Amino acid sequence: MAQSEQTGIIGKGITIRGNLTGGGDLVIEGRVEGQISLKNHLTIERNGHVEAEIRAEELTINGEASGNIDATSMVSISSSAKVAGDIKAPRVVIEDGAVFNGTIQMDVKLPDNI
Amino acid sequence: MANTVIGSSIVIDGEISGDEDLVIQGTVKGKISVKESLIVDRSGVVEADIETQNVEVSGKVTGNINATDKVELKSDCRVIGDIKAPRILIADGASFKGNVDMDVKEP
Repeated sequence: MAQSEQTGIIGKGITIRGNLTGGGDLVIEGRVEGQISLKNHLTIERNGHVEAEIRAEELTINGEASGNIDATSMVSISSSAKVAGDIKAPRVVIEDGAVFNGTIQMDVKLPDNI
Repeated sequence: MANTVIGSSIVIDGEISGDEDLVIQGTVKGKISVKESLIVDRSGVVEADIETQNVEVSGKVTGNINATDKVELKSDCRVIGDIKAPRILIADGASFKGNVDMDVKEP
């Protein structure tokens, strides 16, 4: 993966309400409510709490997320995560121990000759 | 303990609140209220009302600043809005337009 610039950390004492857009990577340890649209990688840390529509290239969830997720590359839900919402991504990984409620759409294209 | 950094390519439209220090290198529109200190870096653009204890501006701020302790306008910053704080420092080279209210009690 190409090295993208580290663009931001939302620390655990911080709450953001509204729209958050940008390029680069973002780590959320605090609270975000609203909409997130990010060019690269979004990580929601263990203490992070996100109630938002999320669009990103890649998403790693270790904390809590509710809202619909649209990732162009991959969504990874780790064992400490709690996720509610619909996920749309070509690759979705859910670890043992993770809590997930919602639908997953991997947008699989079957070959024509089947 | 500047834990939270809004990076240069991030745009936030809304409200930021919290009890932690905040560094803004990107763009924030709306409202900012943090407990201790806010730093607007050289690349930061803020169009918001700010409420905090300490503010340090090296970038651009449009909006009213209300600080309980100190506001520091560094050289090269551009600030448009009213500032209310007991201590205000303006460095040579800073551009500022607005009211300053240090809340001085008349003797």
